[in-house]
Amino acid sequence: MSNRSASLLVAGALATAVAALGASAAQAGMPMNNANPRVRTMAALKSGKFQQCWGVALAGHNDCYAGPGTTCAGTASRNYLGNAFKLVPTGTCTAIHTPYVTIAHGHGSLKPITETGA
Amino acid sequence: MRPWAERQGQFAAALCNVEHPMPPGCIAPDGLPDATRFAVYRNNVISSLIECLQASYPAIERLLGATCFREVAFRFVAEAPPRSAVMLEYGAGFAEFLAQLEPLAALPYLADVARIERAWLEAYHAAEATALDPAALAAVPEHRSGDLCLTLHPSMRIVQSAFPALTIWQLNIAATAPIAVDLPTVAQDTLIARPDAEVEVRALPPGGAAFLNALGAGETLAESAALAGAAAAEFNLTDQLTALLGSGLITAGRLKRRRTRGH
Amino acid sequence: MAPPLSPSPARAVGPAARAVPARAGVGLKAPHYRTILQTRPDIGFFEVHAENYMGAGGPPHRYLTEIRSRYPLSLHGVGLSIGADGPLDRTHLRRLAALNERYEPGLVSEHLAWSSHGGIFFNDLLPLPYTQRTLQRVCAHIAQVHDALGRQILLENPSTYLAFEESTYEETDFIAEVARRSGCGVLLDVNNVYVACTNQGWDPLRYLQRFPLAQVRQIHLAGHAPDQDGRGAPLLIDTHDRPVSALVWDLYAHVIATLGAVPTLIEWDQHLPEWPTLQAEARRAETVLAASPCQEAPRHAAVG
Repeated sequence: MSNRSASLLVAGALATAVAALGASAAQAGMPMNNANPRVRTMAALKSGKFQQCWGVALAGHNDCYAGPGTTCAGTASRNYLGNAFKLVPTGTCTAIHTPYVTIAHGHGSLKPITETGA
Repeated sequence: MRPWAERQGQFAAALCNVEHPMPPGCIAPDGLPDATRFAVYRNNVISSLIECLQASYPAIERLLGATCFREVAFRFVAEAPPRSAVMLEYGAGFAEFLAQLEPLAALPYLADVARIERAWLEAYHAAEATALDPAALAAVPEHRSGDLCLTLHPSMRIVQSAFPALTIWQLNIAATAPIAVDLPTVAQDTLIARPDAEVEVRALPPGGAAFLNALGAGETLAESAALAGAAAAEFNLTDQLTALLGSGLITAGRLKRRRTRGH
Repeated sequence: MAPPLSPSPARAVGPAARAVPARAGVGLKAPHYRTILQTRPDIGFFEVHAENYMGAGGPPHRYLTEIRSRYPLSLHGVGLSIGADGPLDRTHLRRLAALNERYEPGLVSEHLAWSSHGGIFFNDLLPLPYTQRTLQRVCAHIAQVHDALGRQILLENPSTYLAFEESTYEETDFIAEVARRSGCGVLLDVNNVYVACTNQGWDPLRYLQRFPLAQVRQIHLAGHAPDQDGRGAPLLIDTHDRPVSALVWDLYAHVIATLGAVPTLIEWDQHLPEWPTLQAEARRAETVLAASPCQEAPRHAAVG
């Protein structure tokens, strides 16, 4: 492809994208299509989902147990090590079959997979 | 008396290594050493770091099961303890650590799922940035649009996987019982970003990752589109630009000066 | 009026007062963000762990900005490692100073403990011997924090599980001397007093008698878990995962009767309860504060 036709392609794509967004921004009912976060947030407010303004209030993420993570707090004194567990996955990976690997026996269980003892 | 720095070193060494004897001169009210007391600190350190990893990698924990995850996390903590007190940053490198663990070699997609989780956390805490109004790009002259350099949102992360990592991640963050699934053979590239309040995770179309990586490296729109087209013939520039601008993931644009003149 | 609608501005000064009042406050936790914003509970102040807000942006800052605009704030650092022999992490100190600028907390506090050594962060509050050497290091580090923040900080008494045989100071004397030399204020954690006294075989009332109460600007209350050491002696773990114990409430009432009303924080960091349970703990503290002989005492109300 020549430089000139490549350049035309880019120009056309950009013009189409900008035009498409201009059109959808005018539709108040489609906040997710609006590029302006403030407009989106206003739409969210109107819809009653005001939490959108602040986002997911993540508890776990290294708000670290918010305490020890910040370990001002301790944990009970004897749980730090089970004796030498083995690196044997027992989670849901046993239910995933990719073409590359087959982990579970047969075709996996439809039942929740529970932990086997350490 | 031994200097404080040396005493700290003894204490620190015994915290990290459970085989290590407790530091001398750490005593109970009766004046005698007591290993149980020292173990409280060791336990706090190890448990709290494992719990940080649990909070950051919930899908990996689900994939491995709690027991296996704790053992993996324990090994990671011993090998890569935090270097900073800001725990929301802890756990970088966990994906690479998983990738080289021999006993987990049967789960080759694990590292890519961990990369998605890490990207999620980084996007969550990333700097805020205001989206570029697409209308601002309407002013770019047609013959110069290929010279546009676009600034991507600071929260944006891309995970390229030879496996269906996104689908596996999605299946394992929902709190439902695991089900048996046969996954498609396709490789999946994933876009993770927080353009506003929520972290958004979505699949990238073919060529999308090459396009965004090129833009992120400072290439022009024309160069990036060419690289994406080379990576995947079906790459659609219009769709990609519409999605990016529409999601607020472009925060600025500027025209790169041309090296050769010519009007 | 943009604050609730846009990413957090660089500074978050809101209409809420800066000074932390001599009332009860609670630790601000993510699961309670929405309840707090929706119900606007009558709480004296909120406290956050500084390190949890050291990310560049995102929901934590958005919520804290919003909540700070309505309530006074106390900033509680848990990672500065003031008790370490080595130098403070300058990057960390800069980040703490930036939070102090941004959120204008009425109180800033840290711990008499260490958590970093040899470039590794241990994510726990580790104990130190009380000697001339550690006294000098702690005072030098506090002076550095005072310089970096341009304000006084409070130092919190630790909960400890063991003692160092080389210590030459009693803990209370050590803290009093740190406060005298460095000019820092003191955060009296009454639960830590009870935990440390039990674990070390000290008398808590004597501990409080020798404690530099005149420098106390804030109090912490929290729950602990009973355990025992290798020879069967009682060992309390500072878990922050349950209500404040009856004996700690008694000690607290004793402190308030002596000292007057002081800003008091309910710390609950693990196994978080629903908001009403936390608020009930705060109310209980406020009844103790209200019974104090000098509850208006303005000298305890704020440190600016």
